[in-house]
Amino acid sequence: MQDVNEIKLETRDSVTIMDIQGDVTAFSEPFLNDAYQSANSQGTGKILLKFDSNAYINSGGIAVLIQVLAQTQKNNQVIGITGISEHFKKIFHMVGITKFAKIYDSLEDALQQMA
Amino acid sequence: MPPPLKKQNIEISLPSQVGYERVAMASAESYAKMLGLAPERIEDLKTIVAEAAINAMQHGNKERPDARVTVSMMVKDNAIQVTVMDQGEGFKGFLPDPNIERIVNEQDPPVGFGTFLIRQLADQVEIDKTADGANFVRMTIKL
Repeated sequence: MQDVNEIKLETRDSVTIMDIQGDVTAFSEPFLNDAYQSANSQGTGKILLKFDSNAYINSGGIAVLIQVLAQTQKNNQVIGITGISEHFKKIFHMVGITKFAKIYDSLEDALQQMA
Repeated sequence: MPPPLKKQNIEISLPSQVGYERVAMASAESYAKMLGLAPERIEDLKTIVAEAAINAMQHGNKERPDARVTVSMMVKDNAIQVTVMDQGEGFKGFLPDPNIERIVNEQDPPVGFGTFLIRQLADQVEIDKTADGANFVRMTIKL
């Protein structure tokens, strides 16, 4: 039973949006890494991770996300997050993800503030 | 021995395969709704049930196909008590809290988030063994 993510890349107002469909678990690692490498190869300086509002994100998925954060730090990229539920906003704050990535309430809000 | 099941108690047996924790999460959500737990605490309950079940599958049972993970839920002392039991080595103890700065700087491996979340979100957590040697983690969320 493995999760499969479809991740669409779109650039708007100098921000590369990684639109992540599906749950985020340890099985998401190759999908997130491939999408990040594609975004990075485009020379982007700003990345917005957009999640499904009802996505299930577990500890394995958090570990994968933090590995993406580590790559953005190495590459001096700004990273934002949007689309997550209030529960996962709390979880991301608890584990410290918000020290590296700002969470925005909406896509429009993120684009306005990150652009 | 674990306490005998009462009429209102729930017990679920899961395969030791990551992904099946969703079955326990859905059951915990239904049970908590019936008991009137606040919606934000239901989300906390789902997360701790999922993380304890994943730990039991991966670390307790080593994902052995012949080993099961048992999730039982009951109401005790005005709280929902969830017990997750494996048939392997079980929790050997909680890992230290993950340090995200060290993980991002690749000084630490990205591990320990599951047990960290259990400790943060549950009102009470206990790890123990039954008399016949099975390991379990028992988590409580107040109603």
